[in-house]
Amino acid sequence: MPAIRAAAPRVLALVAVATCALIPVGTVLVGSVASRWYWPAVIPAEWTLRAWNYVVSGSGGIGGALLTSSGLALVVAALAVALAVPAARVLALHTFRGKRVVLFALLLPMLAPPLAAAMGLHAVFLKAGLADSFTGVVLVHLIPAVPYATLVLTGTFSGFDPDWEAQARTLGASPWSVWTRITLPAIAPGVALAGILAFVVSWSQYVLTLLVGGGRVLTLPLVLVAFQRGGDEAVAAALSIVFVAPVLLLFALTAPLFEDA
Amino acid sequence: MSSRRLIVVLSATIAAACGSAGPSEMFPAADLARMTWSDVTNRARGSTVRYAMWAGDEARNRFYQGPAADALRRDLEITLTIVPLADTSDLVSKLVAEKAAGLDRGSVDLVWINGANFRTAKQAGILWGPFVQALPNLQHFDPVAFRHDFGTSTDGLEAPYEQAQFVIAYDMARIATPPATFAELRSWIHDHPGRFTYPAIPDFTGSSFARHFLLHSGEAPPAAFAEHFDAALYARASRPVIQSLHAMKPYLWRKGETFPATLAELDRLFVNGEIDFSMNYSPTFASDKIARGEFPASVRTFVPDDGTISDYSFLAIPFNAPNPAGALAVINTFMSPSHAIMRAHAMGGLFPLRLEHLSEPDRDAVDALPRGPATLPLATLATRRIQDAYAEYVDRFERDWRTEVLQR
Amino acid sequence: MTPTRPRIAAMLLPALLVVIGLFGLGMFEVLQQSVGLGVPVPRESTGPTLSYYAAVLGDREIHASLGLTLWVACISTALSVVCGVGLALGLRHGRRAKRGVHTLLQAPLALPHLVVALATITVFAQSGLLARAAFALGLIDAPAGFPVLVNDSAGIGIILSYAFKEMPFIALVATTLLARRGDGHDEVARTLGASPWQRFRHVTWPFLAPGVGAAGLMIFAYVFSAFETPFLLGQPYPAMLPVVAQQRFMSVDLADRPAAMACALILTAIAAVVVRLYLAAAGPAAGRERPVLF
Repeated sequence: MPAIRAAAPRVLALVAVATCALIPVGTVLVGSVASRWYWPAVIPAEWTLRAWNYVVSGSGGIGGALLTSSGLALVVAALAVALAVPAARVLALHTFRGKRVVLFALLLPMLAPPLAAAMGLHAVFLKAGLADSFTGVVLVHLIPAVPYATLVLTGTFSGFDPDWEAQARTLGASPWSVWTRITLPAIAPGVALAGILAFVVSWSQYVLTLLVGGGRVLTLPLVLVAFQRGGDEAVAAALSIVFVAPVLLLFALTAPLFEDA
Repeated sequence: MSSRRLIVVLSATIAAACGSAGPSEMFPAADLARMTWSDVTNRARGSTVRYAMWAGDEARNRFYQGPAADALRRDLEITLTIVPLADTSDLVSKLVAEKAAGLDRGSVDLVWINGANFRTAKQAGILWGPFVQALPNLQHFDPVAFRHDFGTSTDGLEAPYEQAQFVIAYDMARIATPPATFAELRSWIHDHPGRFTYPAIPDFTGSSFARHFLLHSGEAPPAAFAEHFDAALYARASRPVIQSLHAMKPYLWRKGETFPATLAELDRLFVNGEIDFSMNYSPTFASDKIARGEFPASVRTFVPDDGTISDYSFLAIPFNAPNPAGALAVINTFMSPSHAIMRAHAMGGLFPLRLEHLSEPDRDAVDALPRGPATLPLATLATRRIQDAYAEYVDRFERDWRTEVLQR
Repeated sequence: MTPTRPRIAAMLLPALLVVIGLFGLGMFEVLQQSVGLGVPVPRESTGPTLSYYAAVLGDREIHASLGLTLWVACISTALSVVCGVGLALGLRHGRRAKRGVHTLLQAPLALPHLVVALATITVFAQSGLLARAAFALGLIDAPAGFPVLVNDSAGIGIILSYAFKEMPFIALVATTLLARRGDGHDEVARTLGASPWQRFRHVTWPFLAPGVGAAGLMIFAYVFSAFETPFLLGQPYPAMLPVVAQQRFMSVDLADRPAAMACALILTAIAAVVVRLYLAAAGPAAGRERPVLF
């Protein structure tokens, strides 16, 4: 029957998507409350809140790490967007000599191994007195965050028509007015999206924070890896949830923006 | 997180941002010879000490942020701030870079360190000291045992602190009697293909496991490997051992095609019944894991009769510690019987102090320490203890293992 | 009204300064240390030397590592592209589920690679959840009976983990492109009697290829650079190149440091080549993709 034949690939696709989306989160969630979950038990033999008690109690630096991660990501997001908006506008709306080079310069830091730049910057920051500092880590997080934000905003600006600004100006509006009333509302979804992506980029960093922060700037990924290496799977799982939940929430709340921006 | 903790975290962060808080001055280690211990404690009183320590263990974190910090505040008015590390070698790399950059005032006063990390630190000249001779509580430790760390002479640059001994874990439900010697273990592996493995070098525990075969090779008693490097001895002893480890590969888990990368992975295989043994440097690790629900209650530990390696872990002071007096005071406290007993209650582990020097009530307290179901008695561990090999043996053996056993 | 050159430069400068300045500073230091300058390691001579590069490029472990990394990158990218495009085509029709599906597709994008790698071990290990389900169904009677999918010599676990995360990314790119274009061309081809495969090959794919290809190149570059996933899911030997570089950097033996820097530089050079290819492939659309690769 043609109706079922048409529906079959869609159902398959939906199942695939649901699997990709839910299974990792599901296993980690169960792992965080599982005790004595050995072979061959498909579900844990016992359940425990030990890991969550520990995480919620905030000892082991978890509370501080959460604070640091959030503060860091917010600052990085704000700075990244501020830097990206003018650059993206130029990249989207104008052609100029050397544009390819500029794009290359923006893309390479995003795709190159973070370890490389971090190893080098650590030594440089030491001499500049920026090592182990919040500022140093903010700077180093900007390296991947600004390109991401710029890419998103380039897409946004490419759908933007500068004629509207020109019209407003001929009608006598001040540059500030033009900015706040014409440009900003038009690019707002893109700005939000770029900000969120930059936030998540900073939130997820491990190697950059480890090397440049020297362990003094303690973020959630660092604590997570320490517990994972130490073999405490339940606490590592609970920390993974704490790590992932804000990001999932942000993405879910702003899903419409992905389509509009 | 309680508001009190929040305040502590925030003020520590602010203090860290503004530079260290409280009276603390740097002074060269040479001055120690002219100072009395009360000079040190007077300088230390009321200051903040930043202690860099591995943060991957819940019990350890709770203990040092709780009872240990409270005791220091009560007795010496010292504020202990923990600097969590994912790996001590991270801090060592950082200190090396700081020294190269000429950073004279660092951010860490005290670091928990041993083995290869200590050797790198000593070679790079990033430690403050020697200071150990000034510590009153040094008398509680066996001098012979801590003169060397992993074969490197400590030269007073690090103070003994915790002790560990290599133990092997097994499940009573699967194995009634474990092998009694390393030779018997090797036969067991041959008789039960696919049921044993160990973490790949450069993992610390995996390296130790393999090294036992070198120390028990029969070419010379284990003590012969402890003090200095003898290339001829190494060549004679290592060749048959490396060959036998290579020959052992097909009988290991996954036919030796791969090895677990970490202890965490090894424990996962053990607990899920893919292999029948695990291993660890902490004699109480199995009891701890049983208590946390990570190991089944039938797990026990054993030490082969030939003896296993016992190592101390140490406390050292970075060359650019902002508060060396505070660090010294904290180290001395950590070496005291009362701290050791408190720590044993909170975290288990091997009790490192010499029992003969303890007071009666302290000795009773040690006897009364709860011993988990999977922990061997102190006496058993003490009689089956061998010293670790000199650093050069370790290096060469690790390199040979990687090229001749792993990559072939 | 086209702004003047200085104005363009002024708008670009802040972003470029931060990114290139910091990245360039870091890479310059890496370059220096890779030729032996500025490293606290005892050496005979004091000038720059290419000996570390020679050692790295001649190292058997590095060769094996490079081969494995290439293999994993190619297969991961191919798998992500094939499945991602298939997913996008499957989801093409059906208005109602559109928004829900879009939201659902964001979820894997939001998960960091580290967490996905950990979950992959839990699910696919020989004593993992899938194996336990197989045991419960009587298909196997011991963990050893389950195929080796993680910590295996072909990097299957690593590939699965990357495909898991990157397939939704490709699907999103393809979905956006398809939505922009509409069904017009496809309908025309169908009325002319073309089969579904012909329609895909001659109508749909040529349209998707630049955008999807560019996104695929991004994935390829990312696989070459990432560390956590191959560390958790790979074997100690041969290990993927980012893991080897990291291990040498963290090595307690400081003599390994220059070699680690050399590896890092080689990896960055490879990434640079891929970025160059990407810019050539994407053409005027370059820089419009919204990558989510963390």
